[in-house]
Amino acid sequence: MSIEMNKIRNIGISAHIDSGKTTLTERILFYTQRIHAIHDVKGKDGVGATMDSMELEKERGITIASAATFCEWDNHEINIIDTPGHVDFTIEVERSLRVLDGAILVLCSVGGVQSQSITVDQQMKRYKVPCIAFINKCDRSGANPDRVVDQLREKLGHNAIAMQLAIGLEAEHQGVVDLATMKATYFDGDNGDILRVEEIPAELQELAEERREALIEEASNFCDELAEAFLEEKEISAEMILSAMRKGVLTRTVTPVYMGSAYKNKGVQPLLDASIALLPDPSEVSNTALDLDNEETPIELGTDSSDPTVALAFKLEDGQYGQLTYIRVYQGSITKGDTLINTRTGKKTKIGRLVRMHASQMEDIDKIPAGYIGALFGIDCASGDTFTDPKLNYSMTSMFVPNPVISLAIIPKDNKAQINMSKALNRFSKEDPTFRTFVDDETNETIIEGMGELHLEVYVERMRREYSAEVTTGQPRVAYRETITKRAEFNYTHKKQTGGSGQYGRVAGYMEPFSEGEFEFINKVTGGSIPTQFISSCEKGFKAGLVKGALMEFPVTGIRVEINDGASHSVDSSEMAFQAAARGAFQEAYKKAKPVIHEPIMKVVIETPTEFQGTVMGTINQRRGTILGAQEEGPMCVVESQVPLAEMFGYSTILRSSTQGKAQFTMEFANYRQVPQSITEELQKKKAEEGKGAA
Amino acid sequence: MSLQNRNAQIIYLRERNFIMLKKDLMMRNPLRAVSDENGYILPEGGLGTVVARAGVGKTALLVQLSLNSLLKGDKALHISLGDPVRKVSLWYKEVFNNIGIQYQIEKIDDLWNELLPQRFIMTFNIDGFSVPRLDERLTELADQNIFIPQMILVDGLPFNKDMKRADLQALKKLSEKFNSHIWFTVRSHRHEEPDSDGMPIQIAEFADLLDVVIKLEPQESDIKLNVLKGSGSISSQNLSLDPATMLIKE
Repeated sequence: MSIEMNKIRNIGISAHIDSGKTTLTERILFYTQRIHAIHDVKGKDGVGATMDSMELEKERGITIASAATFCEWDNHEINIIDTPGHVDFTIEVERSLRVLDGAILVLCSVGGVQSQSITVDQQMKRYKVPCIAFINKCDRSGANPDRVVDQLREKLGHNAIAMQLAIGLEAEHQGVVDLATMKATYFDGDNGDILRVEEIPAELQELAEERREALIEEASNFCDELAEAFLEEKEISAEMILSAMRKGVLTRTVTPVYMGSAYKNKGVQPLLDASIALLPDPSEVSNTALDLDNEETPIELGTDSSDPTVALAFKLEDGQYGQLTYIRVYQGSITKGDTLINTRTGKKTKIGRLVRMHASQMEDIDKIPAGYIGALFGIDCASGDTFTDPKLNYSMTSMFVPNPVISLAIIPKDNKAQINMSKALNRFSKEDPTFRTFVDDETNETIIEGMGELHLEVYVERMRREYSAEVTTGQPRVAYRETITKRAEFNYTHKKQTGGSGQYGRVAGYMEPFSEGEFEFINKVTGGSIPTQFISSCEKGFKAGLVKGALMEFPVTGIRVEINDGASHSVDSSEMAFQAAARGAFQEAYKKAKPVIHEPIMKVVIETPTEFQGTVMGTINQRRGTILGAQEEGPMCVVESQVPLAEMFGYSTILRSSTQGKAQFTMEFANYRQVPQSITEELQKKKAEEGKGAA
Repeated sequence: MSLQNRNAQIIYLRERNFIMLKKDLMMRNPLRAVSDENGYILPEGGLGTVVARAGVGKTALLVQLSLNSLLKGDKALHISLGDPVRKVSLWYKEVFNNIGIQYQIEKIDDLWNELLPQRFIMTFNIDGFSVPRLDERLTELADQNIFIPQMILVDGLPFNKDMKRADLQALKKLSEKFNSHIWFTVRSHRHEEPDSDGMPIQIAEFADLLDVVIKLEPQESDIKLNVLKGSGSISSQNLSLDPATMLIKE
């Protein structure tokens, strides 16, 4: 598999839900002859798209896991990551972007730049991924690519430039005019696989010339030669335009826009040509790792296959033959029989089988060179682990992992389900850092935690299907927290004298609200009133108090504790005694410090036709939501709001039924905010009832 | 009594409750001097304008007028023609944070969360905006009891030759219908001469419909609030905007 670096493209396809990523990927695979028949996402043939390899994805018509797949086009090798479009799975999107060199941003020609396109775009900015845009669904009624180009400029701040002109829109959509070559392309044959290149239709000639001029003017910003040729009115070749645009794309200063309709097999091949012509190869993208031996100083990685190896495991999957680890090699190479080190665990790992993935089929290979994406078998690791040559101790930049906001109790049906369930949970928590699981000490229930209702639902479904673990689920629970609102002093003495050696310890100080973090402990004890060896026991004691707040037994955060006085006894004082004293002190002060409950608030963005605007706002209002604003754009309206997560259960159904299925929403965690008094009382009442029920 | 206990007598500013905090902020607000005893600059159903060249601080002043009424407990509807909700939100956050810094309030975030439900941002494309449409939206919000504004701010309404007297009269009616008052921003241009009464030409022909006209004029070190039209106390005040924070100062 020796291939030059400049013939490799690692690209991602990101977009809003339902703008047709998976269909587009499916068509790409068809045209690159990786698959031999086209199946649609919500296909009538019951086969479903190749990229959605999980049964569940096929059923719901959504993409959950980002399958990495490889294909060939025009002597180039392209690795495609199909990224999930739903915000509930954002960690997957972020992780995919980390290993990509370039991306195709798919937009719907009717919906345009939607709320999630904005989230995805921000993520691309964060990882500095160069991108080109593809305006899909030009065959749909209401298609307006020009408006989408404007939105790319206005809403996302992209310097978007159309590279094509659609020939006919909506039902009349036939093909595209390439503004670089000034030729019209039509897509013939049952599957649009026969390209017919002709002169531009007369009625579009003038518009095409006008657009080409605009394109050249923009491109000339990136190439002096082109600028000169433009000013001197010389002949300008398509190659000149593309090479100039490429420079702009690599620096993220321009976004070339292509268009077509993947579903109707139009415009996909030119998009593939463009991906090769405009998106960077692995050597053109700089990647940095953190040197763990050197206080995590960022180190620029080389791209040579002869350098010591640095690779990132970005996705795990349970294959038929065991755990499959998707890996991107940044520098050096991975060959069968190599020994690498997992920098997180420090364990040595011997590389066994190497494969190249094509959705759910695979192909054995001997070596994964630098810049390449492949998969390993039989490696024990978690997503996001870095593998390096034993000489190095680098870690790829750690990825931002948000804390879960919702939890669910799951109960296995029988013994067999119990065993399968723990297997499944083990796998899921390795695959997805935002998915966590633990056993509640008191109820002995298994709890799963995640980023949203749908997030958890999907995992429960997967347990059932992939691991045949039948589980029943409890009510979803919101991750409430407690915190204090006032400074309070404590002066607590722990004293016990019941035969044997006694226990004695006194701690004094205060606790106060702390906004910069979860917990801070300050030791201001002077004169040895608490001996130094017991200070850490005090801290332990206070930390023990954080686990369950006295108000509602939710975890406590945002507290700073300072101890400044105390007393000890030469015989009776011990680590145990001071821990107990600190626990007592915490309880004493906590009640005085006016504890309150905080709840997660979600940022909810709803896109709805204007006629339902009032109804939609009503649904937000009923849910203790705050409407931040309403933005009207033509026939659609975007309502931005903040709503407590606790009120959002089952919202998708309600939204659908109240807007005839025409509105959609996205939701992401915004912040924690104090729960109103009335709701606190309700929570307390509920808790009391539960307590009775248990007893 | 130990020293420590005596320390506890100090009342921290951040520990006072929000009601006091809000009152305090209003008391210290320079706008108080130009308001009537209930804290209003405009009468019910009144129209007011802020005129300035691009970039001088129209929106900043508008946001402060709005914040002032939010602190009073009123509801404010901010309509922006052109800017997205996110940008308008940012304006509020920025101005409010500056107020927080100026008056040394520590729990500014909590106070902000408390004010947030009283504010509603609505944005339209300039060509998508019309008075009947706004009326329809507002009536819808009021009918469902979602939001009934006491103050309406319209930022970016183009006062050009297409602007009709009837439009302003319709807005005035709307304002009366909801027992609120409306503030506009009007963008002027450097080269334009005012009319004989000193009114900027954009609003000269509507001047009789307007209750208050404030013109922002950049001077050497600050931006002066020049009251071209107004009743009672507002005309006699000497207020300006601090160019660093864009906050009103006396």
